[in-house]
Amino acid sequence: MADIEWPWQYQFPPFFTIQPNIETRKKQIEAWCSLVLSYTRQQKTYSIDVRESQNSPLFNNKAINRKLSMDCILTVLEELRKTGHLEWTDNKTKKQCLVMWRTPEEWGKLIYSWICSRSMNNTVCTLFELTEGEESEGTEFHGLENWLLLRALKSLESQELAELMSFDGSDGVKFF
Amino acid sequence: MHRRGHGIGAIKKKDLAQARYKDKGSEIAEDQVSQMAKQMEKFKEHLEDFAVNHKEDIKKDPEFRVQFQNMCASIGVDPLASSKGFWAEMLGVGDFYYEIGVQIIEVCIATSHRNGGKDDLLRAIKKLKVLGNGFTVIPVGRTYLVQSVPGELSMDHTMLLQQAQDAGFVTKSDLLSGLKWEEDRAGRALDFMVKEGLAWLDDQATPERQYWFPSFFPYTAVTS
Repeated sequence: MADIEWPWQYQFPPFFTIQPNIETRKKQIEAWCSLVLSYTRQQKTYSIDVRESQNSPLFNNKAINRKLSMDCILTVLEELRKTGHLEWTDNKTKKQCLVMWRTPEEWGKLIYSWICSRSMNNTVCTLFELTEGEESEGTEFHGLENWLLLRALKSLESQELAELMSFDGSDGVKFF
Repeated sequence: MHRRGHGIGAIKKKDLAQARYKDKGSEIAEDQVSQMAKQMEKFKEHLEDFAVNHKEDIKKDPEFRVQFQNMCASIGVDPLASSKGFWAEMLGVGDFYYEIGVQIIEVCIATSHRNGGKDDLLRAIKKLKVLGNGFTVIPVGRTYLVQSVPGELSMDHTMLLQQAQDAGFVTKSDLLSGLKWEEDRAGRALDFMVKEGLAWLDDQATPERQYWFPSFFPYTAVTS
């Protein structure tokens, strides 16, 4: 497991108790949201299983013997959904969700500026090349999961900066 | 055998030599003073160049600023305190503490939970007093609290904070036993702290609820 940078709040016991003061709670939830995003970014994970997450270090700080209750976890995740960083894969049961520590638009921008920096505009490359190819090694989107990559590219497509295409059964993309 | 250094002639010679030494001595001393003056002048020039080159660092990096201030203090210059003259023009730092003052308002509003750069803050907040009573520094035991709430802390609240400052938190029992308060009084003071956003509840504490104060919580970055 990679080293995680924890914010100071993670060591602060009341951080794990939902706060009654509205203003305080607002700050608390914000801090939790950014912790969830930075944690998943550092872990390079793209999904959360709510039940499992209860025991993950993210919501359970064993060192200070504090953990976030299921209710609070759901509150935090719901907040992330509102900001466009999370989607439930099962809208009704809310057991599984996809986390996007960068929104598809942000990923799109990142990929596009990489393409521009390598003058790869007007060339076609496969999706596999983009995220698994040698050339993209060291970039943040190396290893990006396919569903998120597709969304990132679609957001570029809607800005007319890219066009998704299919050839010989494999997916490719052309950047403008 | 004729020993040298005896008789009138020798004495006169010695006097003369001494006078020469003396002359030479003061000449050297003068030299040294003027050299030193030159060096100080040079140093000042360099310090000025340095200040200009690192203006942004001085303004933005608190550690850098402390070191720079120490360096200046060693030659008797306080660039950040004076709002007149060279330093103010050179760095635009005359307004430094006023700028911080304004930023403090922002910081206090945005993060009522953490504060750093104590000396800067204390100076800046003192400047802010001219604006009214919205911002005050309350000495609590060994440390200071910056009050940005336009309210007043009563004696009870200050005592409560004193009680909390060592552990970073306080419980109702602490107040009952430590301050000999009635349950009611303790409850009211604690509720006030929560209502003002000064205290956070920890309901997972045993054996009873703890009221934590982020301002007393030592910051430690943790990697694991």
